[in-house]
Amino acid sequence: MILKKKVLSAVAMGAVAAMALSGCGRSDGGGSDGGGDGGGAAASPGITDEAITLGVTTPLSGGTAGPGTCTVAGLAAYMGAANEAGGIEFGDGKTRTVEIEAFDDTYDPQKALSNFQQNQGDVFAFTSGLGTPTNRAYREAAIDSEVPQVLVQTGDPIFSDQTESPWQLGFVPIYQNEGEAFGELLAGSDGDLTVAILSQNDDYGEGYVEGFKEAISGSENIEIVSELTYEATDTSVDAQLTELAGTDADVFFNAMSITPLVISSIEKSRELGWSPSWFLPSNTSSPVAILEPAAADAEDGFYSVSFAKAPQSPAFAEDEDVVTFLENLEQYAAEYTTTPDFPHCMWSYMVGATLEEAFKNMTEPTRENFMEALRSIEDLQAPLMLEGTSVNTTEDGQPAVSTVVVQKYNGQGYETAESFD
Amino acid sequence: MGTFIQLVVDGLAMGSVYGAIALAIVLVNQSTGMINFAQGGMAVLSAYLAFTFLGLGLPLIVAILLSVAASFIIGALIERFLMRRFMGRAEDTQVVVTVGLLTLLTGICGWLWSYNNLQFPSLFPSSAFTFLGAAISWRSFGTFLAIAGIMVLLQLLFRQTKLGLALRAVADNRQSASFAGLPVGRLLMVGWGLAAALGAVAGALVAPRLSLTPGMLDTTLVYALAAVILGGITSPVGVVVAAWLIGVLENLAAVYVPIIGHDLKIAVPFILLFVVLLLRPQGLFGRKTVVRV
Repeated sequence: MILKKKVLSAVAMGAVAAMALSGCGRSDGGGSDGGGDGGGAAASPGITDEAITLGVTTPLSGGTAGPGTCTVAGLAAYMGAANEAGGIEFGDGKTRTVEIEAFDDTYDPQKALSNFQQNQGDVFAFTSGLGTPTNRAYREAAIDSEVPQVLVQTGDPIFSDQTESPWQLGFVPIYQNEGEAFGELLAGSDGDLTVAILSQNDDYGEGYVEGFKEAISGSENIEIVSELTYEATDTSVDAQLTELAGTDADVFFNAMSITPLVISSIEKSRELGWSPSWFLPSNTSSPVAILEPAAADAEDGFYSVSFAKAPQSPAFAEDEDVVTFLENLEQYAAEYTTTPDFPHCMWSYMVGATLEEAFKNMTEPTRENFMEALRSIEDLQAPLMLEGTSVNTTEDGQPAVSTVVVQKYNGQGYETAESFD
Repeated sequence: MGTFIQLVVDGLAMGSVYGAIALAIVLVNQSTGMINFAQGGMAVLSAYLAFTFLGLGLPLIVAILLSVAASFIIGALIERFLMRRFMGRAEDTQVVVTVGLLTLLTGICGWLWSYNNLQFPSLFPSSAFTFLGAAISWRSFGTFLAIAGIMVLLQLLFRQTKLGLALRAVADNRQSASFAGLPVGRLLMVGWGLAAALGAVAGALVAPRLSLTPGMLDTTLVYALAAVILGGITSPVGVVVAAWLIGVLENLAAVYVPIIGHDLKIAVPFILLFVVLLLRPQGLFGRKTVVRV
């Protein structure tokens, strides 16, 4: 009995300690006493003369943990290297190191919101986090508290609408951009093509399909023969595939965000003897995480879109950006991941470069000034960006990166596809 | 017609996955009298163990057998050191403990093996064969046969063996069983151990299909519970047949009933469940519990 009590009190103590550590005890901004003498304006929380703290709320556990971990890893790699080189010289003349704090939200909107609320006093800006529902969960709170929530990794257009989201900016192309790029490739092809569509029954799937349909509207040679949906919680899409395979369409537009389902779709359609050309969204087209486990046959033609150089592709094995990126990842992001299995690793690395550009143009250590600096980046060729794509933050309604290149899987990695064949 | 047969075959394959977990739930219930919500979580843990053994360089079949053995021990230990403490308390308490156990196991798996999707190799080749115009993968077929085999074994265990009789006696009335000289404590451990071992087989069978993650069986558990209620918790054959029925009906409804479609198909097993519970509360194949007063 005594032992039981001891255990209980130990647990209670632990819980109290954990609460104190996790932020209940930090109410006043850590940075408010630091800077401010530079530009006249009082420094915002999370920035001193020596350092700036960035927060990332993203799934580090749960089903989306793979991509989620990558959203921190690339950023940590980029900023780790920048810190090692002495820090970044800001527009106000001060050189600061960049601290990254990652908060696990397990893709749970409620947790994302509490991560924001508990840490907004210590964090200068939230950035890079993945997930539409999670980013949406604290969007309004961020606007109310005037805290930047920028370069977030969601294709939801709302984050790039300056009227609706004055303190936000999306990083990755919106879903429509991706669907549209593939639609244009098809519309530009010579032969008649039939298309079967399977999409996730939410904004994600609808966005892809909308962009795709817009691009092919008016093209006589493209016909959509069947269009089905599935739920993000489904464990199997076999029935949909059986139905779609019945159409024997030439092209399968699969707007799916769930890794195991994409793998089983590829396997299932092979079993059914249906071998269309595939379109896969950029976040579920990874060769290592999806195509190889599914033993995808490059002969079928797997298309996706990208704006990042793929480290796995032989075409980029010697690429200077890629080599540096992999080294930095190994050295500064080991606590997250050292293998960029998901493109989010590359994207968050570019987020790092974009932030650096904004920091260089920031003349006051305030959040307002940061937003201004961030919104005036034009044609920045961040490391790892593919030719033909760039960061451009000046256009309202568009995310920082709105251009994508259609690519085709060659058995090892992706290469840019000039035409559909 | 080809599509119809294919949908039935796909449904049976998915139903086998639901059935695997449902069987483990039945096993625990028949030997301890309770519903174990952590059954899926335990099966996932077993699959991770097999994955780890595999990583040590052992052949797949050896890795799975080792994980089955390890799971038997873990299951027995969970009963002895966790569930035993709540024995005799309200049933609600015990159920909540198993829900807690599910959360705990999921967390442990994520902590030890990460939440990334791991590729678990299949015992069966990934190729497929054609039967009556339907493509059947060897994986699905193998899972189907394995589940059918386990179902028969369980039915025999409970109906034809002394151990089965003893397990049922303990579940039915612990006190009387104890007075009759049965080693109640050990039998409870055996019940949990067997269920965990069965879960390990189920985990290894379904992991290649769902790809191994800590939450792999969360949705499956919901279907498995539906199968358990539908088929009648006292009947291994019943729950497997119910699981197959759920798999097939949900596919057919999704494709042939436009108003349901692929978006509402998850409702199918539950609508079926309400109907069966209203008309036949003991399940399709279950026995009515009669209490003499």
